Amino acid sequence: MSRLLGLYAAVVYAFLHLPLLVLAVFSFNASRFTRWEGFSLRWFRAALTNTQMAEAAWNSLLIAAVSTCASTILGTLAAYGLWKRRSRLLSGSLYLTLLTPEIVTGVSLLVFFQWLFRFPGLQLGMHTVILAHITFSIAYVTVVVLARLRTLDPSLEEAALDLGAPPWQAFLRVTVPLIQSAIAAAALLAFTVSFDDYVITSMVAGVDSETLPMVIYAIARRGASPELNAVSTFIVTALGALVLISERLRGR
Amino acid sequence: MATGRRIAVLSLSFDRLCRLPALLTLAALFLAPLGVIAVYSLLTRGAYGGVELPWTLENYARLWDPLYAAILWRSVWIAAVSTALCVLLGFPLALFISRSGPRKNLYLLLVILPFWSSFLIRTYAWMFLLRDTGLVNTLLLAFGWIRQPLPLLYNDAAVILGLVYGFLPFMVLPLYATLERMDKTLLEAAADLGARPLDALFRITLPLSLPGIRAGAVLVFIPCLGAYLTPDLLGGGKSVMVGNLVQNQFTTARDWPFGSAVSLTLMAMVMLLLMVAARSKGEDLL
Amino acid sequence: MAVAGAAGCSPRRRPRLNVYNWSNYVAPDTIPGFEREFGVQVRYAVYESNEEMLAKAMTGNCGWDIVFPSNYIIQPLREYRLLAPLDHTRLRNLDNLDAPFRSPSWDPQLQWCIPFTWGAAGILWRHAAPFRPKSWSDLWDPRLRGRITMLDDPAEVLGACLKKLGYSINSTDPRQLAAARREAIAQKPLLRAYLNAEVRDQVVAGDVLAAQAWATIAGQASLSSTGVGFAFPEEGFSLYADNAVILRESRRAELAHLFLDYLLRPEVAAAIVEATRTATCNGAAHRLLDPALQSDPVLHPPPEILRRGEWFEPLPAAAQRLRDRIWTEIKAA
Repeated sequence: MSRLLGLYAAVVYAFLHLPLLVLAVFSFNASRFTRWEGFSLRWFRAALTNTQMAEAAWNSLLIAAVSTCASTILGTLAAYGLWKRRSRLLSGSLYLTLLTPEIVTGVSLLVFFQWLFRFPGLQLGMHTVILAHITFSIAYVTVVVLARLRTLDPSLEEAALDLGAPPWQAFLRVTVPLIQSAIAAAALLAFTVSFDDYVITSMVAGVDSETLPMVIYAIARRGASPELNAVSTFIVTALGALVLISERLRGR
Repeated sequence: MATGRRIAVLSLSFDRLCRLPALLTLAALFLAPLGVIAVYSLLTRGAYGGVELPWTLENYARLWDPLYAAILWRSVWIAAVSTALCVLLGFPLALFISRSGPRKNLYLLLVILPFWSSFLIRTYAWMFLLRDTGLVNTLLLAFGWIRQPLPLLYNDAAVILGLVYGFLPFMVLPLYATLERMDKTLLEAAADLGARPLDALFRITLPLSLPGIRAGAVLVFIPCLGAYLTPDLLGGGKSVMVGNLVQNQFTTARDWPFGSAVSLTLMAMVMLLLMVAARSKGEDLL
Repeated sequence: MAVAGAAGCSPRRRPRLNVYNWSNYVAPDTIPGFEREFGVQVRYAVYESNEEMLAKAMTGNCGWDIVFPSNYIIQPLREYRLLAPLDHTRLRNLDNLDAPFRSPSWDPQLQWCIPFTWGAAGILWRHAAPFRPKSWSDLWDPRLRGRITMLDDPAEVLGACLKKLGYSINSTDPRQLAAARREAIAQKPLLRAYLNAEVRDQVVAGDVLAAQAWATIAGQASLSSTGVGFAFPEEGFSLYADNAVILRESRRAELAHLFLDYLLRPEVAAAIVEATRTATCNGAAHRLLDPALQSDPVLHPPPEILRRGEWFEPLPAAAQRLRDRIWTEIKAA
């Protein structure tokens, strides 16, 4: 039976990985159709010189960077707080952000921002996207860091407290260094999630805050495009690398 | 004592200070917006969009219209089929990984990696494969097995395929966790007693992994229910699920009150499911 | 392209203008030409339907300076106080407009909008189709199952259904609208998709045999393929005009007026017609066109065909609400 199981696993892995591999292979296709007509880098060149994509990519990086910093800090603190004492309010809210359908989070933020902005005359823009990203990223960070904290020996921190250190020092000097790899892993995960987000971003983005997923979606909607294959290959490779590093840091 | 407890509640201990920023952020940027759409769901739509008084329950009443009930029902059905397929496809894979000895982490990584790479791009990959001029049709035409391109895209089946593809890891990981923790000696005992491997599978492994299956099913069913991107790209706007209806009402249809009512109904369905599932929950993530 | 334009400008940030327009409505050099001449940076994005644009414009703070609503939306936009009044002293090229568009019914004094292009909706079809479509009812023919598309536009789809039943496209009668709704839902099993400009590539590729499409889409399709035709349905068809407006929320009214004046130049408008195959409201530009283009029967139908056309008109609030609700029901069915 284990032979059968192994064969089955191979098929499922193929199912999971082939679509992306095929996409990657065809991004090197010289022809724009699905007939293979030779190896070429023209689509990568086209994608790189596309100013709309370049600007969108820059926006995505900026948004991901800022929201990752904020959500990592907030999420790590929250994980620590939850490790020390359970809080159904916080846990419940974090669970809710993970399980609420993205479209609902997106439209509620759209409505909220538009209602808020009526008076100060503000508009949707980079800032609203960043705030939205922070909101849904915190939970991911908390889950990762809390999982690591739960494997920690609490007596280490207690020892620091016994020696007279104030709680915040015990946290910063003892606990954080012990979990720093988990924090880094969580940050990478938050970055990945933020960079890839389409649904929520599309609802709260403004005129000047088009992100790469939004551009990709618009092109995908119109049909396939070889430049899209090239961009996809690049993104998948980059994000895949980030995830690999994140998993190594988590100590899997 | 009462005084001591009151002081403990009011004091700003360090761990409370740690929880506060996240709590405030979520309250302001997650809970408050949900409150706002709850209010909007009770208002009326302006002639060309926007919201205005009077207060009304009409938006919720509209959901009982067979047209929208059909959308809700279709979403439940698609989510259920996708979840069932994930269980059927994911269980043997989880079994394989749990029995693969030293290479476990590698196999787990191979499951996790595609999952985190990019949901949008993974959905697009299926568009690339299934379109009329996509790879599958091109190959079938080239081999002469068909004469006209098959309409593989823009139907419920494509959506289910996309959802299973997207959320299979969500099923495999908790299943694997349960199988890992299973007592292997039970299987040894069964073998000693002369049971065949297949019997042991159905009468020992499967029943013991039910908690994992339940956990995985919940983790898959809920995002499938509220899916938006997959039915939008792979269903081509013809396979309308609740998520599409919500998005549509907040953009081109400009009916924010109705869209809010649909959103809250979707949330209610999710919460109901969670409450049912909470009674048989596995390990707490948070 | 924007990078090339920036090369010749001062290191200080150039003023910005945000323009939101229908897809394929400008020539390749229209925007860069404006950027070069006035040292401005234009953020130019496109949309596929009035509804897509309205979803942003109705919020009152979407960030766009100039949008291009169709004529029947001008009045509602005015009523919602979303438009900025136009200053004619800054629009010296106004007289280039064709006579009928100098005082159109939707804005007789041109206080709020500048007519930009006009057109009709009809049937774009491939010669490979089993028969030649001549009327709206041909789009309900089972022989075309799966290869028909309709516009993703409530006014156009309901308009076609109403015309098929012999009613006016601007009907407000609930019974007529209910009948139109039934027609639209009856058509859904035969329909491939609701598509606007995106259908052009699918018709050219042969995936779609008959599509409800605007004349400009047909014009663009004929640039890529000779196997396509356009029919003005016998029961009658809709006429629309797209207009440039400045949104009230815009803080760059002066720059916006410069852009509108630029669009009114004959050579600019003529270049747009040549590149996009759309009928222009600019009479001076029309006279600059190649005679073959001037007499193109798809873009500029002869009077006997034009007589069958009916202009869209703004509708009372209750009727509009009903139509929007019917559209949601059609899409959801």
